[in-house]
This record gives sequence, structure tokens and C-alpha cells, in this order.
Amino acid sequence: MKSLLQQPGLFSRTILWLVFLFLLGPFVIVFLAGFSAGETLAFPPTAYSLRWILEVVAAEEFQQAFLTSLQIGLLATVIALLLGVPVAYAMSRMPPPGMGAIKQILTSPLIIPAMLVGLGLLRHFVLLVDAPVFLGLLIGHIGLLTPYAVRVVYASLINLRVDIEEAAITLGASRAQTFRLIVLPNIRSAVIAAFFLAFVTSFNQVPVSLFLTGPGISTLPIEMLGHMENSFDPSIAALSTLLVLFTMAFVLVTEKVLGISKYM
Amino acid sequence: MVAQHKTRLGILLVTPALIFTVVCFLLPVLALLLDAFRVGSLDSGTLHWGISRFIDFFAEPLNRQVFLRTLRIAALVTLCAALLSYPAAQAIVRVSPSWRGLVLGMMILPLMVSPIARTYAWIVLFGRNGAINAVLLHLGLADAPQRLLFSEMAVFVGLLQLLLPLMLMSLVSSMENLSRDIALAASTLGANAWQVFTRVTLPLTQEGLIVGGTLVFTGCVTAYVTPALLGGPKVLMLETLLYQKVSVESDFSSANVIAVILVAMTLAVNAGLKRISAPRRSSLAGSVK
Repeated sequence: MKSLLQQPGLFSRTILWLVFLFLLGPFVIVFLAGFSAGETLAFPPTAYSLRWILEVVAAEEFQQAFLTSLQIGLLATVIALLLGVPVAYAMSRMPPPGMGAIKQILTSPLIIPAMLVGLGLLRHFVLLVDAPVFLGLLIGHIGLLTPYAVRVVYASLINLRVDIEEAAITLGASRAQTFRLIVLPNIRSAVIAAFFLAFVTSFNQVPVSLFLTGPGISTLPIEMLGHMENSFDPSIAALSTLLVLFTMAFVLVTEKVLGISKYM
Repeated sequence: MVAQHKTRLGILLVTPALIFTVVCFLLPVLALLLDAFRVGSLDSGTLHWGISRFIDFFAEPLNRQVFLRTLRIAALVTLCAALLSYPAAQAIVRVSPSWRGLVLGMMILPLMVSPIARTYAWIVLFGRNGAINAVLLHLGLADAPQRLLFSEMAVFVGLLQLLLPLMLMSLVSSMENLSRDIALAASTLGANAWQVFTRVTLPLTQEGLIVGGTLVFTGCVTAYVTPALLGGPKVLMLETLLYQKVSVESDFSSANVIAVILVAMTLAVNAGLKRISAPRRSSLAGSVK
């Protein structure tokens, strides 16, 4: 024990590898199950094939849910950025009176359990005023994503020197021109990072969507959960495999290009 | 004049987001929470405020059991996440710059993957025909497949895997700010590794530990996918109980009570976090400088 502790590098490195094995090892298992050829889920699979991958890609219910997730994710992300970027700009450059309270309200979606938002919107909005479920779903997602947009863009704005904006204004540019021509190009990578983070958050979201989906409208995660209740075939493993592979490619690219881990 | 104009513009810029959050996000939740304290019915004219719904809820042994189980699992996951994350974070901070990107990528990857995909692996492992049962049968440690899924252990493992990265990230960021010279100075002065950890590293990274702990604890309390898939209807937690009350039993009274409990728990943990970390932040800064 003592000799282990005297080599702190060795001890902590061993733990790190075990932690990574625990965090990432399960993905290997999902892959193997996703490529299985069997009728039901068994591990290790007796034979491998693309059977279930092809089946889930062709399945109409998953295609439909995927499109809904895509729509909700893109719409909610764009709207959250339109709401969040001005807030981040105001917070960093011209904090209005009562900024502390405003911040508290705007970050509350991060603290409130997401499932309650879904239930609240269902009971006191969708059912109350007979609004379309899609609208409730969209509102829930926008609310959830706005704090992410604010946080990521704000972090980049406080590192941007104010004097270049002041120079532009002194030289006769309007506030709007300064924002468009000076500020926006400088915070571009933060806005893109916020876009990706928000989209992924929406795409993977379950608790908000749980009560705001129903017959005819379902997101991909909700459809997957529903499918799991009725069947034990490897199709969810196949879908999970696709999701993990896409996410891996996505994280690699965004980490290389944007260094996305510093915005999380 | 200019300052006034700036203030007005600032107000203008935050207003849309503020209105949206209050009207579309906070009000529906608030209405939900208030319902829990509303007793009687409007039609019979007996509507009044009270806590009888809470008394009814906790009178039910199953509900009490779910409440305590949620606290127990959340506490255990937070503890284990901290124990694993300290050495791991220490190793990450020491990684050479050329490997750093890869290690950080490996750390955030699980956070970006759909929680369903992440939880599914454990179904494959713990299932009746799963990997662990295959190994047990092969080694002759069991004569028949064991029931591993739908147990508290499965929920615990799933939640730990789900939330550990949050603790890891918050400890890594607080250790990055910590100069290695401080630990080096302590060991030069004769402290052993354990003393360096308890007397230097731990106090100086307390804030990261508290932030990470809050994220992991509230993450456990508010997780739905993991307890739903790995615990099922046998091992309910507050979120899965809430879903069951609404969608299976149409028991909105209990659902409203659970909503209040969930919000109270997350608010309490977050308020506690602020109280603990606020005074310490100043004393910490003082001791480092």
C-alpha cells in the first residue's frame, strides 16, 4: 500500500484506466449486440450481421421519430440561440439592474427536474388551452436549451476585449453594426459550440418529452423506450450502435475543431 | 445619457428570454407545485389549502420506501463517484499535452451519447441471457441464470456510469487551477502522499468536489431513463414512481406531491452548495495567494 502511494502516478493512472474501462467498455458491448444476427438479445451473440442495423434504418416508426427529433432539435436550438445570445451580450456588456435575480430565473431550467416541465406543460398548457402537443414539446425544449446558449456564449464574450467594440463605435458604427461586424465574428466558434451542445441535449432528451409525446408524435428516444417495453429483439442495440458511432465522430470533430470540452 | 441608453438596451436584450422562461417554463411548473397544496374540489366548494396530500402520500409504505431508496442510491453514487474521480482526475491533469485532447474527448464522449444507448449496455450485461450470466454459468458459479436486472445494484451501476463524468470534469477543472508546486512543496517538506492529499489537495479542490457532488446527487434524483430500464417497476425511484402515477394510475395527487419533493430536494442541495462554497471561496483565495 505504502509503495503504491509513494508512486502516485501509477496508482492514479491505474484508477483512470479502470474508470475509462467502466465508462467506455459498455459501448463495445452495445456494438457487439447491435451487430448480432440472432432473433433475440443474447450475449455474446452467436453470429454477426448487419441485419438489425438495416432493419432499424428501414423501420418507419423510427424514421418518423428521427425526423421529429431532428425538427424539434433544430428549431429549439435556433430559437434558444436567438433568445440566449442577446442575454449573454447584455450580461457581459450592459448588465441591466437586478442582474442577479434575472440570472437566477434564466438558469432555473437547469435546476428544475425536467420531467416536471413536461408534466407542467401538459397539464397547464397543452390540455388547458388545447394547444398542439408539438408546440408544448418545442417550448419545453427551448426552455431547457436557452441556459446552455447563454452560458457558452457568455463565457466567450467575457474573454473578448471591449475596447475593439468601443473603437468601432467611436469610429461611427452603430451598436447593431458593431455587434454584427465585430462581436459576432469573434464569438463564432462559441455560437457554433453552443449550437452543437444544445442540439445534442435536445436530441437525447427524455424527461421533458416523456409527457409531451403521444400517438402520432414521438421523438427518437421516446420511440426507443416504447419499443423496449414490447420486445426484446436487438433493434434497440442496433439503433444505440448507430447513435454511439455518430456521437463519437461528432465529438472527435467538434473537439478537434472547436475544443468543445472547454465549453461544457 | 449614454449610460441610461446602455441600461435600456440591456433590459431590452434580456426581456424576450426572461418573458419566455417565466411564462412558458416557470408558470406551468409553479402551477403543478401549487396543485399539491390544493385540497378538496372546486365544484363542491370545499377547495382550500393544506398539506393533507403529503400526509396521504407518506402514509403509504411503498412511497416511503421509494423516497428513502432514492436518497440512498443518490448518496452512494455520489460517494463512489468522488472516490473514483479523485485519483482519475489527478492522472488526467498529469497527462502530457499531446494526449490531452484524446483523454478529454474520452471523458466527454459518454456525456454526449444518448442515455438510452448508455443504459442499454447494462441490459445486455445484466440480462438473463446476458454476459455476466454467461460467465457465471460457464465458470459453474451458478446453475441457473441469476436475476441481475431490475435490482438496486443494477440501478446503482447504471447511474454511476451515467453521472461519474460530471464529477470527473468538475474535479479536473478545479485541479487544473491548482499549481503542482504546492503539492511538490508539501512533499519536499516531508508530507507523504496521503498527507499531501488530505491536507493540501482535498482542501484546495473542495469547491470542485462540492459542485461535482451537487451535479451527481441531483442527477441521480432526477434521472428517469436509468431507473426505468434497470430498475423497472420493481425498483422504483421518485421519477419512475411519478411517471407510473401519471401514466398508469392517473393519480395526479401523488404526482403533484412527488413534484414538490423533487423540486424541494434539488433546491435544497443547490442552496446548500451556495452556502458551503460562498464563504470558502474567499478563504481559499486568501490561502492560495
